[in-house]
Amino acid sequence: MKDNKGAGLRHFLNRESTAGVVFCLPFIIGFLLFMVVPMGISFYYSFCDYNILSPPVFTGLHNYIKMFTDDDVFFKTIGVTFYFAFVSVPLRLVFALLVAMLLLKSSKATGFYRAAYYLPSIIGGSVAVAILWKRMFATDGVINLLFGFFGIHTSFPWLGNKNTAIWTLIILAIWQFGSSMLIFLSSLKQIPVTLYEASRVDGANKFSQFFKITLPLLTPTIFFNLVMQMINGFLAFTQCFIITQGKPLNSTLFYTVYMYQQSFEFYNTGYGAALAWVMLGLIGLITVVLFATKRFWVYTEGV
Amino acid sequence: MKKKIALLMAAVMAAASLSGCGGSEKVTTEDTTAGSAADTTQAVTEGENGDVKLTMSWWGNQVRNEKTQAALDLYTGQNPGTEIEGQFSEWSDYWNKLATSAAGQAIPDIVQMDYSFIDQYVKNGLLEDLTPYIKDGTLDVSDISENTMASGTVNGGVYAICAGINAPSLLYNKTLLDKNGITVKDYMTTDEFIDLCREVYQKTGYKTNIAYYNAGAYLDYFMRGSDVVLYGDKKMGGEEKDYLPFFQMYETGIKEGWFIDPGVFAELSIGSVEQEPLVYGSSPETMSWCAFYNSNQLTAMQKAAPEGMEIGITTWPSADPKKSGYLKSSQFFSVGAHSKNPEEAVKVINFLTNSSDANNILLGERGVPASSVIAKELAPKMSDVDQKVIKFVNEVVTPNCSPINPPQPDGASEVSNLLNQVQEQLCYGVYDAKTAAEEFYNGANSIMSKK
Amino acid sequence: MTTRKKAGKILYHIIVCGLGLVMIYPLVWMVMSSFKETNTIFLTAGQLIPEKFVLTNYINGWKGFAKISFAVFFKNSFFIAVTATLGTVFSSALVAYGLARCRFFGRKILFAAMLLSMMLPAQVLMIPQYLWYQKLGWVGSYKPLILPYSFAIQGFFVYLMINFIDGIPRELDEAAKIDGCSYYSIFTRIVMPLITPALITASIFSFMWRWDDFLSALLYINESARYPVSLALKLFSDPGSSSDYGAMFAMATLSILPAVTIFICLQKYLVDGISTSGLKG
Repeated sequence: MKDNKGAGLRHFLNRESTAGVVFCLPFIIGFLLFMVVPMGISFYYSFCDYNILSPPVFTGLHNYIKMFTDDDVFFKTIGVTFYFAFVSVPLRLVFALLVAMLLLKSSKATGFYRAAYYLPSIIGGSVAVAILWKRMFATDGVINLLFGFFGIHTSFPWLGNKNTAIWTLIILAIWQFGSSMLIFLSSLKQIPVTLYEASRVDGANKFSQFFKITLPLLTPTIFFNLVMQMINGFLAFTQCFIITQGKPLNSTLFYTVYMYQQSFEFYNTGYGAALAWVMLGLIGLITVVLFATKRFWVYTEGV
Repeated sequence: MKKKIALLMAAVMAAASLSGCGGSEKVTTEDTTAGSAADTTQAVTEGENGDVKLTMSWWGNQVRNEKTQAALDLYTGQNPGTEIEGQFSEWSDYWNKLATSAAGQAIPDIVQMDYSFIDQYVKNGLLEDLTPYIKDGTLDVSDISENTMASGTVNGGVYAICAGINAPSLLYNKTLLDKNGITVKDYMTTDEFIDLCREVYQKTGYKTNIAYYNAGAYLDYFMRGSDVVLYGDKKMGGEEKDYLPFFQMYETGIKEGWFIDPGVFAELSIGSVEQEPLVYGSSPETMSWCAFYNSNQLTAMQKAAPEGMEIGITTWPSADPKKSGYLKSSQFFSVGAHSKNPEEAVKVINFLTNSSDANNILLGERGVPASSVIAKELAPKMSDVDQKVIKFVNEVVTPNCSPINPPQPDGASEVSNLLNQVQEQLCYGVYDAKTAAEEFYNGANSIMSKK
Repeated sequence: MTTRKKAGKILYHIIVCGLGLVMIYPLVWMVMSSFKETNTIFLTAGQLIPEKFVLTNYINGWKGFAKISFAVFFKNSFFIAVTATLGTVFSSALVAYGLARCRFFGRKILFAAMLLSMMLPAQVLMIPQYLWYQKLGWVGSYKPLILPYSFAIQGFFVYLMINFIDGIPRELDEAAKIDGCSYYSIFTRIVMPLITPALITASIFSFMWRWDDFLSALLYINESARYPVSLALKLFSDPGSSSDYGAMFAMATLSILPAVTIFICLQKYLVDGISTSGLKG
């Protein structure tokens, strides 16, 4: 009897649909417990006049209307953020993939190189990086010195000029390509060696191997990195917050930093919440578009 | 296989118990530790066997953390049965945390307050009115001047006790000016100041920084010189034309070349003493001969200065600096409205304000002590730079000062940000002074009207 | 042929080294700065090598604040980062497998929810989360810094692992099923070993992110003796008064050591994964 019951349960648990739910249980619980409530509250705030210190007052769509009709900075930051994301993300991915290819071979030296290339991502958004970055792009900084080395003597204010300041942040984002690189590295290793061996027998050179084997098999990882980095790019905060704070003339003001200012510096927290939900909508849209293109270029193994 | 499933189920069960959904004995180590941690902190707020447990939070640097904690330890040593937990953070973190805990109705018993936030905190009922404690003698304010008390008073209630007196101060490179035979006098008018900037630029090549991107307090001071109170009730004080001279000063500086190129500031952290163009920069082109700060920051500025540079101190310029002048609190101590032991918290504030022993530890790190008795007692023990500050505050500012404007209302930080933006446009040559005044006045009024 | 190969090898090392130097220059700068006298850091920011190597920054920094030394902050950080990482990696692997290999009702909704939860900026959830955790009685403890992560709430890790599991041929699963393996044993016996690189990658990221996270520590930890390193580092700077940048750089240098060490130790497993673990079903 007991055995029978146990077998029944075992059978039930091993049904595909049950197993799926069981495996996903942590996320289901976690999402309901830790995400749904806070997200709900913040969604509610976006319809309120709320300054943290006193209770929120419901004002309907007021925040959203204000955003689109009475806030020039809002549009400015959208522009800056799109520019930043669409320029830095592809560059970062290309760079990460190239370096991952370079560092694929296993040797003592590559272990060391990998660490060196990953280091910038470890120091991340620390104060040291902020200070250093400003020093490097200063009028008398390393970058201008480098130009002087090539005979171009300049004291160009990279950070002070509204056209170039954003590039200092883009370069910082590219420089910290380590996480994408790691993911590329580990999925490059997932490609079976036998495929390469077979193609070598067929007389393929390294170049065609890359385009015929590596790249197609890597497309799922490229897609993953693209989606993640796009989301990260649009939600980029630290670079701007620690280095430029939007200066000069709001030319580097990231959307999230503006949202932060509204929420925690001006105490227009309800408005800040509304800004966040509009951003969620925008990123959501872009992600849906990316997923829609997936079947045209992402290789899926016989499924 | 069976074992595997059992193991997995155990894991799932453990996970479920972590979430508080099921009672299982299989609790992972992280849970127990985190749990016990929660218990200890719970104790801090609730207290046990009649012991009083207080929390006090402040912002500041290593020195302040050290000294304040030592003073609190002295208090708990003298008052067995009282425990005080010090919580310290960096300035902007501090306000984020305090606002968040205010939202959760859980602000600490004793909080360090700032002039620019006090109004909002009081109006939202987050601070305790200290008047009853002053009346019943728990808090002794007899040695604190009326002007100083006024700065912590909102709508007739005393909500904050000055932790250190401060005066707006123009810090300048005395060594440089002395070497070039340029003298600085106290109470310069705007015109005299502008002439001085020109002179310094011509003789030394050093430029000027007039509180660039950080001019909220200076504008307030500047307007007082022409009898305008910056913030009115849901609007800005004065008229648009009253603001014009302020922006004209910048316009003149940019046109004549003695104002630092705004691009330079993009390479600095504005407001950080160590990166102030007065002490930091590679050439006169990117450096300023003066800086707009407060008197208690002289020590820090002198410390950040290169060797051999003596920093002088004088008043900020305005149309009539004697009218503009005021003393302010560098910061306050307040009691949080959610405190379960407000009386005990007040006792601590009283201790920090009036005890010689406590102030011998604190040594005026927050500014000149509010109690005149303590200030006098402490003066000989202070460093040369600190004595210079006391002298400046007592002899230069105090004789001419008038009460400070009412604390900044809600919306002030947004207005200050607007001022920075307008100033930036002006210095980058996008606006002229007239447009700047117009943009600022209208924009600021529109912000204030919505509050 | 051999000389060409040799030349190619040398060229490879020159390029990789050169680029590597550019990559680590800032780090070297930070380490060097930590040995400068604290009041000269800004004045000599342009030069890399300190005029005089001093250790005072390390001594002053290590002392910490109000009698709490950095040893305490490091201990706290290790506890938080290690437990949260274990929780993250294990729970994310479970969920990833469920989403990647099982078809069930609501799978797509879960996947969408996972992506959606990544699209809200962390800052906007600060206050709502605080209010909620306060209701749960978690404020003042490490729970908000650890427990949520044990429930795979970081979609990034789940999605990362889904991606890797997708790369494992399904025939392996099918073969195992025919041999009588359940979904659960496929997970532990086949999938887990095969996604080792992903698990390691995730561990590195998670450890680093938990280690660097100061926002939740700021909001939820009240007692200074329970601060993690990330939060303690910020205490060196006070914009209005003197900041001890020397001590900050010194402690910042120490604070990246754990992540660097972990990376160096794990990176070779990261790329060895499939070839060494083999395919023993």
